[in-house]
Amino acid sequence: MDTTMVTVKINGSEYPAPRNATILDACTRAGFKVPTLCYCEDVAKNASCAVCVVEVKGAKSLLRSCTACVHEGMEIVTNSPRIRDARKTSVELLLANHPSDCLACLRNQNCELQTLAADLGVRGSRFVRTKKAEKLDTTSPSVHRDPNKCILCGRCIAVCQNVQTVSAIGLSGRGIRTKISTYMEKGLGNVACTYCGQCALVCPTGAIVERDETDEVFEELSNPDKVVIVQTAPAIRVGIGEAMGLEPGSLVTGQMVAALRRLGFRKVFDTQFAADLTILEEGHELIRRLRTNGTLPMITSCSPGWIKFAEHFYPSSLAHLSTCKSPQQMFGAVAKTYYASKTGIDPRNIVVVSVMPCTAKKFEARRPEMMSAFEYWKDKRAWSETDAFYDVDYVLTTRELARMFRETGVRFSSLPSEEFDHPLGESTGAAVIFGATGGVMEAALRTAYEVVTGTPLTNVEFTAVRGMEGLKEASVDMNGTVVKVAVAHTLKNARTLLDQIERGESPYAFIEIMTCPGGCLGGGGQPIPTTWAVRRQRAESLYREDAGKPVRKSHENPHITALYKEFLKEPLGDMSHHLLHTSYERRGLRPWTAGSNGQQHAASVRPAG
Amino acid sequence: MDGTEFPTAEEQEIDEIVQQRAGTHGELLGILEEVQRLNDARYLPEEALERVSQRTGVPLSRIYNVATFYSFFNLKPQGKHTVTVCRGTACHTKGSRSLLDDIGLMLDCKKGLEEGEPLVTTPDRQFTVSTVACFGQCALAPVVAVDGSIDGAMTSAKLQKRIGRLSKGRKRP
Repeated sequence: MDTTMVTVKINGSEYPAPRNATILDACTRAGFKVPTLCYCEDVAKNASCAVCVVEVKGAKSLLRSCTACVHEGMEIVTNSPRIRDARKTSVELLLANHPSDCLACLRNQNCELQTLAADLGVRGSRFVRTKKAEKLDTTSPSVHRDPNKCILCGRCIAVCQNVQTVSAIGLSGRGIRTKISTYMEKGLGNVACTYCGQCALVCPTGAIVERDETDEVFEELSNPDKVVIVQTAPAIRVGIGEAMGLEPGSLVTGQMVAALRRLGFRKVFDTQFAADLTILEEGHELIRRLRTNGTLPMITSCSPGWIKFAEHFYPSSLAHLSTCKSPQQMFGAVAKTYYASKTGIDPRNIVVVSVMPCTAKKFEARRPEMMSAFEYWKDKRAWSETDAFYDVDYVLTTRELARMFRETGVRFSSLPSEEFDHPLGESTGAAVIFGATGGVMEAALRTAYEVVTGTPLTNVEFTAVRGMEGLKEASVDMNGTVVKVAVAHTLKNARTLLDQIERGESPYAFIEIMTCPGGCLGGGGQPIPTTWAVRRQRAESLYREDAGKPVRKSHENPHITALYKEFLKEPLGDMSHHLLHTSYERRGLRPWTAGSNGQQHAASVRPAG
Repeated sequence: MDGTEFPTAEEQEIDEIVQQRAGTHGELLGILEEVQRLNDARYLPEEALERVSQRTGVPLSRIYNVATFYSFFNLKPQGKHTVTVCRGTACHTKGSRSLLDDIGLMLDCKKGLEEGEPLVTTPDRQFTVSTVACFGQCALAPVVAVDGSIDGAMTSAKLQKRIGRLSKGRKRP
């Protein structure tokens, strides 16, 4: 890397800047704020919006600072009447084709276009609308697109193509007809989209948003016949505070529990309980695969975007996926069987609401195979298909929960700290770190090591798998057997490990893959903006919570032990097989060609071992 | 999977085109150009695009991007004959709007043209009518190209004759 520094003059004073830095970087380092719109840290610099323009001495026109680079002696001006006029005009041109019903938009008050228009002093639009109205894309159960609100910044395409290597969306048409499209306008729900929601996370406006389920949940909460319980993913406790206006990464576990009670949930439970359960099942699955010559490497299956990615792009490698359901789905299955029996509540009246940092979880909850609790009760109670229910009824993202809190007037800052309910609210430190990349691996190693060696770990922290590098690896010596493991986040990095597997060159026994950058804490349902600095703050909070937990290994969670004793009997047992494990579909790259009525291939894969 | 084992004749042709072009500069444009030539209706059927994606590894969204960007590529079957009306400034002032309206009436495709479709093909697939921003033949305004050959100083009567000759034997709707 070129580390040479050059000197540039910004607004009359001299500043050092790395050679090859963009003008934007140089200005930011020097403390000058240049407004941007299409630029997105580490994701996109398309130079399409013309908002970040600056004056450079000797240049014929204004330069876009996100792409133009500095050179020795460059003289830059970031603020002049000419610049302000140009920026304002760029935004006005965008506003000409942008709906002005901001008050009714999900992104109201969290919209970069809105903020920019306010900051730049736009007081009206001189230009008339030139584009025809476009249809909404509501084909996906996870994210909805409104092309009318799109400003063609290209960030969603950049994240989908470059970070996730999915390319579900791209540009189509030319000139005035240019828009963001799926192949042949089939809609996100019909093409090879993983529903990761990173497009929604980087969209500066309300053109791509999560499918909002807040109305349905409010309705259930006011139904006296229903017992509405909630589970919260690890990443929510480090995200919801931020969404409610606190500092990024604020750890608000106790206030979150209190707020959920005030919202009207009968019981406030924790997905982390199910995360501990996942470790028990997945840890034993790994040990079984190692001992019985099963398919290796085994890959984690907690991240539903990754699962759908594998089903579309690597259908012949599905046997490598752990058969374990994700913690969200394990929770639903356990709540509507074990907890229902324990409390005597009719499982048909239990409504399980998940709060997830994830849009793909909305899809996962609607996978047809995710009705294990109903299958469990059906024969016992002689219920018919009309009684059928899903294990998880509704999935809210962090952003949706924040909207519900605001709508009901829950004041986050003045709430006391409260505890989760028993027994599905009890968890260990191992479960907390599920929310960060490397966390599931670390949690699994804490348990697998002790189960295999029979000796307690002296240090539970496997720091080699922590941190934000895209690919991490580690070796763990378990009684003379060295187990090589790898951790990847983002689907681009997942590809590297999967290609290695398909070439038969994977040296690993166990791999953790998380769909989103940074893991769940950087999920598509998290507060906007989610930058690398914010991701680090959220991760730090999760590891702090883990360090402060009295129990830090999943197999030492007494409530998990009780669950096995009273109900499941043993990891990988018959009951676990029915309630906690699942199978995958070969979806391929043209999912619309499979079967009729949108039905997928019947060929499912149930990995051995 | 995805039907690679037993390709149809069309698929084999596409595979050969991809193979010949592999690794060349602007590979995708050349491939799509040749694939469009494979069928008489001069368009890129969905199955063909999907085959190209499969063989080149270029994502479908990217292929769709290229196929919709260039007006040369068609995603719908084209008529046997093409009529292209210049809608540039010079031709407009010389009455190209009413020529377009007349064509709409002559070929019974007025509705599609009025809705601003960039390309309208008659239901019997005999004619595809389109507009162009400028042919660069402003001195001859108004200009209309029929089956690729440009005719200047066009009048409604001349057009009627030319189109009439081409539609001889064509069933009236």
